[in-house]
Amino acid sequence: MGQTLTLSNVGVALQRGGRQVPVVENISLSLAAGETLAIVGESGSGKTTTALAIPGLLPEGATVSGQILLQGQDLRRLAQRALRKLCGARIGMVFQDPLAALNPTMRVGAQITEAIRLHLGLSRRAAWARAVELLNEVGIEGAAARAADYPHMFSGGMRQRVMIAAALACDPILLIADEPTSGLDADLKEQIFTLLARLRADRRLAVLLISHDMSLVARHADRASVFYAGRCVETGPAASMLRSPRHRYTCALLRAAPRLGGGVPAAIRGAMPEPEAFAASCRFAPRCDHAQAECVATAPALTAAPDDEGHIAACFYPATTPVAGMHVPSAAAPSPALSGESLRVEGLTVRYRRGYRSGTARVAVQDVSFQMAPGECLGVVGASGSGKTSLAHAIVHMVPYEGRVLFRGEPLSTLRGAALRRMQLVFQNPAASLDPIQTAGAAIEEALELGGLRDRRQRRARATALLEQVGLANSLLDRLPGTLSGGQAQRVAIARALAAEPALLVLDEPTASLDVSTAAGLLTLLRDLAVRLGVGYIVITHDVAVASVLAHRVAVMQNGRLVEIRNNVPS
Amino acid sequence: MLNKLATGAAPLVLLFLFCLLGPAIWPTDPAALNVGAPLAAPSLSYPLGTDALGRDELARLIHGGRETLSVAVPATLLAFTLGTGYGLIAGFASGILARLLMRLLDALLALPSLVVLLCGAALLPLNRVTVGGLIGVTAWFALARVVRTEIMSLRERDFAQAARQLGAGPLHMARRHLLPNIARLLTVNATFLLGDSVLALSALSFLGLGVPPPAASWGSMLQSGIGLMDLGAWWLILPPGFLIAGSLFAAASAGRMFLSEASNQQTKVFWFFSSEKNSLPSS
Repeated sequence: MGQTLTLSNVGVALQRGGRQVPVVENISLSLAAGETLAIVGESGSGKTTTALAIPGLLPEGATVSGQILLQGQDLRRLAQRALRKLCGARIGMVFQDPLAALNPTMRVGAQITEAIRLHLGLSRRAAWARAVELLNEVGIEGAAARAADYPHMFSGGMRQRVMIAAALACDPILLIADEPTSGLDADLKEQIFTLLARLRADRRLAVLLISHDMSLVARHADRASVFYAGRCVETGPAASMLRSPRHRYTCALLRAAPRLGGGVPAAIRGAMPEPEAFAASCRFAPRCDHAQAECVATAPALTAAPDDEGHIAACFYPATTPVAGMHVPSAAAPSPALSGESLRVEGLTVRYRRGYRSGTARVAVQDVSFQMAPGECLGVVGASGSGKTSLAHAIVHMVPYEGRVLFRGEPLSTLRGAALRRMQLVFQNPAASLDPIQTAGAAIEEALELGGLRDRRQRRARATALLEQVGLANSLLDRLPGTLSGGQAQRVAIARALAAEPALLVLDEPTASLDVSTAAGLLTLLRDLAVRLGVGYIVITHDVAVASVLAHRVAVMQNGRLVEIRNNVPS
Repeated sequence: MLNKLATGAAPLVLLFLFCLLGPAIWPTDPAALNVGAPLAAPSLSYPLGTDALGRDELARLIHGGRETLSVAVPATLLAFTLGTGYGLIAGFASGILARLLMRLLDALLALPSLVVLLCGAALLPLNRVTVGGLIGVTAWFALARVVRTEIMSLRERDFAQAARQLGAGPLHMARRHLLPNIARLLTVNATFLLGDSVLALSALSFLGLGVPPPAASWGSMLQSGIGLMDLGAWWLILPPGFLIAGSLFAAASAGRMFLSEASNQQTKVFWFFSSEKNSLPSS
């Protein structure tokens, strides 16, 4: 069987600060019809750059070397126009954020039609019929009517289906899906992947899947390639590779992913180097526990593993034991003497009015009751739309609610000032929760100032101490949020919350927007802080594994109701 | 970046320099009558000619500019303060008050400002204070609306929620988070307001409702020049007209510079809103 896509020795250099900086080098991959190849890696590993190089969608000033063959035709030899024409028809792209990729002012049918008419030359009517057919194929109910809807009228999962329909418009042979399910909850993720699997089988599509989620890759890809710092460090059959990884980075990545009963996820120390600092030797060596002199001197070549066919890794000292036994043993969940009562919630109901004057209301949270001891960590899990975020917002009194919430014995509605500050919310998106024109130091100092700390010098010292407490260097004090990484920003947000000396910290999806290894580091930190400071958490998450790492008890929300609350049994 | 700043702001700076330093460089008395040379064409002794009473046109332009700015700048500040203040309050308000404030603003926006200006000028005694006040009071409606929209979106953002969680009140929010975040927008609008004020004053003066004689402004000079158009005295029409149009251009140019500068980097223009001067990046 011929390969649909072959990359050999592909390198990409991007224009950065007036210089050409190689961000991807020496990538060789092949992908057959009906096969799914996953590229796995953290942000900055070059996986998206590689994918964008295939249809020539890299930014101005980028140079690509090597060979990119689509059904034997070298895409790099084609002129711009011919490339656009070929790729438009043969390659379908699905992006991470469908709302950004879809034009908000166009009906979805028209957006799909646009591509069909451009590349297949069908009449307006025939193209519209084809669009409806495609929407039907990707599982949109009442496709004929919904084709006339605008993107914002679709839910997140449905929107991604629309994107997929648009990508399929011209019967492509290759589908490139860049993190197609990030931002969707577990159920929707499964649904999208099931859909992709079906399409792949029905249409004999070759699917290039880009993801940082190892468990999804293991279940849904035939083969996987792990990227690190612009290089492919390991390639092999997905299932066996993730069961017995060879490269030390792959092992570390697997250990960093939180999983049920897997204990504390192990963060990878250090950070991935910036492209300007890429070394000639093994780029993972500075973060690797197994690195020897050889690793920092030369770069290992991709060599075949003894176990099975097509499994290759670039590591001098590859792992030989399967990863299953490699999880750090659970450091038994911290259990302070859970007595007394910190928070009591009785019959909490949150309603959102639908319109200005309309009498109808949507009930987001219905009759939820529970209580928490001081220092206790409660995980709240549920699918998106189950009301868990509304619950969190009601508890910190950000939205109006019915029912009773007692914080440290006092009704929430009577709390003012200092008493209210003992409860803090940490937001899902760390970048948005920091004022873009306020430095990290100023943000923390402001929190201290609002707490009544007048002396500027003391504030500065305390801010430095808080930063240190969340594992950040004080050199970050003068940095604006835009220059911080996601993990750093979230730590600053946590430091700011800690500045109020809270008794209860409400964490709304604290790791959802972070990379696997960054998230693992943050979870370790949170767990550490809980023990050291005796602060209680409410952890809102759609990832049961995250809750299981932090929580003493886990509450399950469904359709606005709390359906179950159980003890979290540490493994 | 400095280059770009300089190019964009250059016309505005030149205009101010012309008015402020003009008398020092060209010290001729603008009110001195020279009966011997009425309507003299531009020459070495009168670079821009003389008017019907033999007054030096260049000196009159300089003093007219000072007169214009001395009314337009305070008017701009007044409009800026009113617009920002009203926008802030309307952005913070909720429920019936918010709706009331918005309806009132809509009504004000619906008023044709020239008509209001003319009515006001007809009713009030004309001097710098009343004319400047009139212009300021009629110029802030659009700014208020823009500010309100921005405040409403900013106050719902996560970082604003976070500040409230920490106990920040409305004043603190406005001073530390909201105003600094719209500083760029405010700066741009302030520049545009200045251009608008110059134009409004010129229009009033042209219609004879500006600052009363002997004080001259560009608008009234243009008006008297047009009366003498038949005599071919182009030097009485072109220069004041050019300066009025030029000040609009200068304001727009400076505004555009602020916009483009701030969009790729938060400029330090916001610093004056923040009492925490150390909230600036040290770099």
